[in-house]
Amino acid sequence: MNPATINLINQPLLVMEAASLRLGRRHFGPYTLTLHAGERVAVLGPSGAGKSTLLKLAARELHHSDGHISLLGRDIRHYSLREMSRRRAVLAQTTHVAFGMQTELVVSLGRAALEIDPHLTTIVHSAMQLAHAAHLAGRKMDQLSGGEQARIHLARIFAQLWDIEQGLVMMDEPLAALDPGLQGELLDSMQSYAEARGHALLAILHDINQALHAFDRLLLVNNGQLEKQVNADLHALPALQSLYGIQLGSLMTPDGQAVVYRQKNPSLSPRAQTHNRLNS
Amino acid sequence: MRIPFRLIPRAHWGNKWQVVLLVAITVLALALASSIGAVSIGWRDWLSPLQAESTGNSYVLWQLRVPRTLLALFAGGMLGVAGALAQGLFRNPLADPGLLGVNSGAACAAALTIVFADSLPWTLPAGLRPWLLPLAAFAGALLVCFTLDRVARWITPGSIAGLLLTGIALNAIAVAVLGLCTYLSTDEQLRSLSFWTLGSLAGAGWTIVGVALLMLLMAIWQVRRLARAMNALALGEAAAAHVGIEVATLRSRTILIVALLVGATVAWCGMISFISLIAPHLVRTLHGSDQRRVLPLSIFFGGLLLLIADTLARTLATPAEIPVGIFTALLGGPFFLMLLNQTRERIG
Amino acid sequence: MTSAHQDGQPALPSRRAHLQQWLGLGAMALAGLLPHGAHAANRRLICVGGALTEIVYALGASADLAGVDTTSLYPPAAQSLPSVGYARTLSAEGILALAPSMVLATEDAGPSTVLRQLENAGIAVHILAANHQFEGLLQRIQKVGELTGHAGEATELQTRLRNEWQMVRTNVEAHPAASPRVLFILSHSMSQIMVAGQETSADAMLRYAGARNAMQGFTGFKPLTPEAVIAAQPDIILLTDLGLKAAGSKAAILKLPGLAQTPAGRKQRIVSMETMLLLGFGPRLPLALKELDRSLQSAMQAG
Repeated sequence: MNPATINLINQPLLVMEAASLRLGRRHFGPYTLTLHAGERVAVLGPSGAGKSTLLKLAARELHHSDGHISLLGRDIRHYSLREMSRRRAVLAQTTHVAFGMQTELVVSLGRAALEIDPHLTTIVHSAMQLAHAAHLAGRKMDQLSGGEQARIHLARIFAQLWDIEQGLVMMDEPLAALDPGLQGELLDSMQSYAEARGHALLAILHDINQALHAFDRLLLVNNGQLEKQVNADLHALPALQSLYGIQLGSLMTPDGQAVVYRQKNPSLSPRAQTHNRLNS
Repeated sequence: MRIPFRLIPRAHWGNKWQVVLLVAITVLALALASSIGAVSIGWRDWLSPLQAESTGNSYVLWQLRVPRTLLALFAGGMLGVAGALAQGLFRNPLADPGLLGVNSGAACAAALTIVFADSLPWTLPAGLRPWLLPLAAFAGALLVCFTLDRVARWITPGSIAGLLLTGIALNAIAVAVLGLCTYLSTDEQLRSLSFWTLGSLAGAGWTIVGVALLMLLMAIWQVRRLARAMNALALGEAAAAHVGIEVATLRSRTILIVALLVGATVAWCGMISFISLIAPHLVRTLHGSDQRRVLPLSIFFGGLLLLIADTLARTLATPAEIPVGIFTALLGGPFFLMLLNQTRERIG
Repeated sequence: MTSAHQDGQPALPSRRAHLQQWLGLGAMALAGLLPHGAHAANRRLICVGGALTEIVYALGASADLAGVDTTSLYPPAAQSLPSVGYARTLSAEGILALAPSMVLATEDAGPSTVLRQLENAGIAVHILAANHQFEGLLQRIQKVGELTGHAGEATELQTRLRNEWQMVRTNVEAHPAASPRVLFILSHSMSQIMVAGQETSADAMLRYAGARNAMQGFTGFKPLTPEAVIAAQPDIILLTDLGLKAAGSKAAILKLPGLAQTPAGRKQRIVSMETMLLLGFGPRLPLALKELDRSLQSAMQAG
């Protein structure tokens, strides 16, 4: 398939049509969603809700038993792994690298499927720079902290789709192991990286504020089902409250950003309370 | 210390000077190992292939010692790269074919062949006979490899402890079958069985050296293609697939090569332990973990290690010979404990 | 292990040659001047198998010996010869380094590739079968005699052995009592006993001694369960000296599982003999039989 044609007809990047999967006794799906190039979508939901399964189905790490999943209009089952690797990158929750490899080598592995790769060295260095990992060059993976390793893997994802346009970047809790300052910086890096290339971002997050600030759309997953798709603004709060079973409130910061927090006072009706605050 | 990152497209042995150094060391080691032994060799013996009449000790040099040192080098290289491949495949520096029972599986199949080949209803054509044992050993090694692969994936996914325990179980089964063969064997069969348990390069001849060289070249050729994918496998199977590596193909191909290399060395040299564990680890300590360097250099280090061990085995007690397996085990046992100590946090 | 002194000669001086050098001028001169000595210099023998070494010594051909294996312990002089190691892990080059003209070996010698390499190197390799019979011994003596150029001595030895054998056998057959059941224990560990079945050297010796092997129904040396030991009901336990030494004492042997419940255990009838003497089927065979017979008889009479 020719990328040029894709742009012309503005085909959606990822389409899942009632894709479902049975894992042991658990049933996941049907998931139906459409993702366009340049979109930033966060997947939210309680632990064990099936967020990772959704991501793994889209990444073809797990194979759907029913429904249909296509990438750029083509059934993902018809892609070779090599072709897939040039269209989408996946950052897993944890990746243990064997043998204490050197950091640059790990980053370069994002492009392992390429036979000829003349700009590999430059791309690796730029990707590490973008992931705030340039100072880790020359170190070995087994000597790095969890947060430092996470940055190397992020750089690996960056390197994988560095010279591609309108790809799909999937991330499973990419910021979990990082300290708060770095979380913000790396979120910015991800956004600028995706924006510059027209990549779509599909990320599993636990932080509602990050999801609201940096993403366009929220996929709410619960009990193996895709419960709801909402825009990432304060109107999503009721849905988020029922998703997590908690009360949420919001505050405005001086620079005009809304910050969501968990309310400790359950005495009043949660819905009324929140709506009051929202509408005020 | 900052190690400059260089783009290496394929597996290779090093830059031009490093290759020259490697070749020089190998040639020197071969010459040195060939010049010492129970019989003293003069410079005339070295030239004897060029002369019409053979000198006194040219037979010892050219029919016994040179083939033997070459076989030590090649078999060690085969074991070294088999170890590096197995460790890469199972993503762990402790995943040594010997420890995982691949060697004993091969020896066990060979022993079964010795004891039961005569009681089969059909007889092999004479031309195939010399290949019967290597084939059986290969089949045994292959069976153990596939079992390991299955078990490692389904019973204890991702756990090196589970893998090593499975190896212990397979080893125990193989040793038990070997014991059964010993019990059932006639005196004559017993004599050939003891060869496998002790390990020896005494059977070296030019034919075996030639076949070993062919297999080593095959391994080098394959390794050139596999090295980069092997690197990606260090990320785990899922991540390797995400970056575009056909993991299933890589696995089965690696298993096939490991079984072939281990099966061949066991059939010709018996069970020689620990070379496959030590060689890749030495390379990683000296050159880092890039499989494009680890795989080819493991051939070199494995070959050199076995050459040293065998030279000691045949020269220390002249005119008698000490089984070479004793030296590799003496070398490897403490080494394994050291390695275990280094990786203990990750076990389990 | 020997110090390999090499002085440019293709024929390497063995420890023996080395010793000769230092034994004094007289011996040196003698060895050098006598035609026999010159003869010995170009016939160099390697003996793999204790019984073969004994035969070579008995034939007076020991001057030809260039090396022996680890089972060649008798006569004690053999122990000072260069050792080519364990019979099953011979080294082609190690043997060639001793510059032999001939290798005499039992069937135990190996690996087979090494024997083939030796033959390819132009060394005459003779495998002399040990068939656990007195006649087999005579044949081997004759063969060794022919190969070493001591055919005359071989005939003499054969005649002497035949006479001795006749005497011992007559003695054995003269015993009026019923033949005792004997259990031969080759080796033992805490829980297992390795005993001799049929078609073993021990079985053959017992038969010559007019005794019955308590173990029937299998061939070769096999491990035995305590129950099978009891079921065998041996009157006498026969061991090698080494086995007895390894156990420590006769009392320790009786503690092995099952043994105390046998007639041999109850009456403490334990007999031991030197391994190579008892099982070697060498030129000491009549002596071995005589000693075995005497030991068995006195054990039976004592209990």
